[in-house]
Amino acid sequence: MRSLLDIFKKIKFKRTETSTPSPPERTIFKERYDCFQKLLSANNSVLETMADMEEKISGDYIFDMSYVRSTCETVVESVHNIIEHLNKLSNGKYSALYDAFEKINSDIEGALAKKAEIPVTPFTIPFEQVTKDMVNSVGGKNANLGEVKNRVNLPVPEGFCISAYAFKKFMDYDKLRDEITLSSVDIGDVEGLNRISKKVRDLIMKAHIPPDLERSISNAYLELSKKIAHRGGILNASVRSSAIHEDAHFTFAGQYKTALNVVPENLTKKYREVVASLFTPRAIFYCESKGFQEEDMVMAVGVVEMIDAKASGVMYSRDPTDAGRDAIIINAVWGLGPYAVEGKVSPNTYVVSKDSDRTILEKNIPVQGVMLKCSPEEGAGEVEALEGKEGKPCLADDQIKTLAEYALVLEQHYGKPQDIEWSLDQNDNFFILQSRPLRILAEKSKKPIPTSLRGYKLLIDKGQIACKGVGAGKVYLITKEEDLENFPEGAVLVAKHTSPKFVTVMNKASAIVADVGSPTGHMASLAREYNVPTILNTEVAMKSLEAGQEITVDAINRNIYEGRIEELVEAGKTENPFKDTPVFKVLKGVLQNIVPLNLIYPEDEEKFRPELCETFHDITRFAHEVAMNEMFKIGGGPDVKKGGAIKLVVKLPLDIHVIDLGGGVKNDSDKITPDHILSIPMNALLKGLMEIEWPGPPPVNVKGFLSVVANTTIQPHSEKALWEPSFAVISKEYMNFSIRLGYHLQTVEAYAGDNLNDNYIRFLLKGGGASIDRRARRTRLIKEVLEKIDFHVDRTGDVLDGRVTKYDRATIEKKLGTVAKLTAFTKQLDMTLFNDAVVDWYVQEFIKKHYVEEKKPGRC
Amino acid sequence: MAEIKKLRDLIIPITDYPHMPYWATLEEAIVLLNFSYETGHYTILVFDESYRLLGVLHQREILRGIQPKLVELSPGKVPNAWEELMSTANPKQLKRPIKDFMTPFNIIVDVEDHILKVAHLMLKHNTGLLPVKESEKVIGAVGMHNIFHEITAFILKSKVTT
Repeated sequence: MRSLLDIFKKIKFKRTETSTPSPPERTIFKERYDCFQKLLSANNSVLETMADMEEKISGDYIFDMSYVRSTCETVVESVHNIIEHLNKLSNGKYSALYDAFEKINSDIEGALAKKAEIPVTPFTIPFEQVTKDMVNSVGGKNANLGEVKNRVNLPVPEGFCISAYAFKKFMDYDKLRDEITLSSVDIGDVEGLNRISKKVRDLIMKAHIPPDLERSISNAYLELSKKIAHRGGILNASVRSSAIHEDAHFTFAGQYKTALNVVPENLTKKYREVVASLFTPRAIFYCESKGFQEEDMVMAVGVVEMIDAKASGVMYSRDPTDAGRDAIIINAVWGLGPYAVEGKVSPNTYVVSKDSDRTILEKNIPVQGVMLKCSPEEGAGEVEALEGKEGKPCLADDQIKTLAEYALVLEQHYGKPQDIEWSLDQNDNFFILQSRPLRILAEKSKKPIPTSLRGYKLLIDKGQIACKGVGAGKVYLITKEEDLENFPEGAVLVAKHTSPKFVTVMNKASAIVADVGSPTGHMASLAREYNVPTILNTEVAMKSLEAGQEITVDAINRNIYEGRIEELVEAGKTENPFKDTPVFKVLKGVLQNIVPLNLIYPEDEEKFRPELCETFHDITRFAHEVAMNEMFKIGGGPDVKKGGAIKLVVKLPLDIHVIDLGGGVKNDSDKITPDHILSIPMNALLKGLMEIEWPGPPPVNVKGFLSVVANTTIQPHSEKALWEPSFAVISKEYMNFSIRLGYHLQTVEAYAGDNLNDNYIRFLLKGGGASIDRRARRTRLIKEVLEKIDFHVDRTGDVLDGRVTKYDRATIEKKLGTVAKLTAFTKQLDMTLFNDAVVDWYVQEFIKKHYVEEKKPGRC
Repeated sequence: MAEIKKLRDLIIPITDYPHMPYWATLEEAIVLLNFSYETGHYTILVFDESYRLLGVLHQREILRGIQPKLVELSPGKVPNAWEELMSTANPKQLKRPIKDFMTPFNIIVDVEDHILKVAHLMLKHNTGLLPVKESEKVIGAVGMHNIFHEITAFILKSKVTT
């Protein structure tokens, strides 16, 4: 029988051996690692680009189509690279990803090519047939006017629309579209902008109107004049712009032309002028800066009965300067309406309460010296205000209350505050001329959310914002996956780590806070998709916040306060004014194919498959997960021993051989010691392994020891397994270390680089020399310690698979140190673990002696 | 006439015993025995890293291991609980490996041996526990109390019969 002394000799001998390099195997390892690294790089590129795109869609930024196209190109290229590298790494095992990629890519291309569709309609459409659903046919202003007339049943002047389809035909007739190219316009170049604008407007003014369109306008006007003849007033019309995006969510206020009091014979001329106003320098600037595409610039026109107004004005169904004030604001001027909005004169202002009596709260009646009036023949001109009218209110109290009533009816109908133009004819009949969403100036000019609030206890003031906003609710701590099942409505999710599995409660969570996590991670992406205010990397949330505690999460200034602070919650509510622009919609459309994450549970093999990838995020998540598994295999692969391993001379009871994939070992090393190791994770692990006193055969008192061995008469386990070499495949940032320890195989794989998303540690252990119950107890011991250092651990009997991801490099190094000590501590400890009480004692013992609490987990 | 049991029926499987590697410390042994006390085990089997059975560690050997500290204590401060003993005992002693204190197995019995032979060997070698092998493989151990109970029960039954 071989004595331990012989074994020690053998170890000593082995440590002087150096394996002969075997280039082909090492080349294979290098190639695979190269694929892995490129995959990680592409993965990061996708995640970062996705995060940027989602940030843009949050509404805080302006972007254009070139941004959408270029980011899509980046994502498409990176995802394709990911699939390429993964298949190279796995010998084509995941070729099904190409099919998923093609489908998603095709959907994205479709979304990018989408243009505003102009429905085929008659050239002219009477207001009686118009509703707000017809924006693409008649433009925003016309659509709303039709809605007010036909569905709200408030008085609206008679009129008809010259449709968007008519515009298209007009533009096609002289091939104007071919002449108009705005894609090269630099809106910062005022001179250039003016030049292009003039060129385009000249083209339009000289263009021919198709005869059938001209006939249609003429006929429609005849019909209109019949309708208004009974009023006995003037028979002229106003010709008003109604671009397809006008009044919907963008005011385009004052951008386009309105021609007042137009005689019938000039209708087509004014039509041209209004169409040409689509291309004034300021209108082009407005469109470009709001992200409209050239194809979206479509002008329908309204031809409206001209109201010879005694008084006109605008009213707001809510005080635009104070959204919280329950009042209607009415402005009025003598004469035609433009003076009410152009600032030419100071209008009357009436403030009306929304109470049941419509109490008039305020009246402000300045002197109005001049007014705008219809000219006898055509057009409008400034005249002296009629004598006796200066200083007198334009409206009587009952008229004010009638208008207030209209404002409320319109607000109720549209479900949001309205900005309304009205007119009062010479017979004291009111007409609604326009109703559009009121841009709440209070929101626009809202005071910025204070970076810190006095009078409230600030609990946490650090972290990284993953989704902007403010949320308040009771703290609900997530310590394990099962906790999600009982997540209460409106609670604030607080966790140590982020997890894509949190998606299941994102419709309930008012905010999310985590100690660790990256704004470019999967969960952050989901939080943005669900618009849940989220702060990550707070480092201390789990310690600082208590379950059930009411808090307010200000994910704008990275502050968390005790209690519910209504003013913050209210201030955090944002409306995105950019959200209905075409370019926003295109981005939103493409993001549907990029961002949503459906493959959430890697452990569910039925659902975690390439065929089920519906978005690029699914593909990246799937590929990253399986790529790590593919890399993990190389350490235990049959070829590892042929990989040109070099013996590591180190004072450890391990026979370690190193395979360098690049940058892991000093180049000029022919004799490897820990000083030659450049690999970050390997160094961290070795440091831990060398710091701890290893349990095992003591090298002292050999005589007494031998006498013991000599008395042994029973058949032992095979000794061969005890001294098998351990292989470490390493690079600068990577380590895959298969450690033979006693009778179990343990693999520690880690990546510790500068990008937090790449970093992880995986710890796999199987086997042991003791009976199965004792081996299982050892895995329980290891599980408890690993969970203490934030690993997610799966354990079945004597098999343990633990993983921790997305920590900064320094934290990964610290955790590797603990893993190393745990490795030594539990070597052959399974033998001793007689019952669970003993396991508990060893867990405490390890924590007491070797666990150093990580004070600052997270990013650097 | 009453029949005496076979040794096979008296042995306790090796996995049921508390056991430790020989490099485990005295402190660990104390902990293990404390936690296995309620299961009726008062000894620890000692193995080497290759799972070869080396010996047994009794309570008395543990006490002997920490004895130097005990004798130094005044009568009023003699520890009466393991926990207190842990804190008062000499730390250096507690860190010593159990191989320094265990009783090596110099003898092993075969599962087919008669229990009278086992009793004889126990008396002869002054040990209360012996490993039992079958085909050169240790399958368990037998304790003095099992042997004692079986032999004395047999004697009593035989007396009644006669």
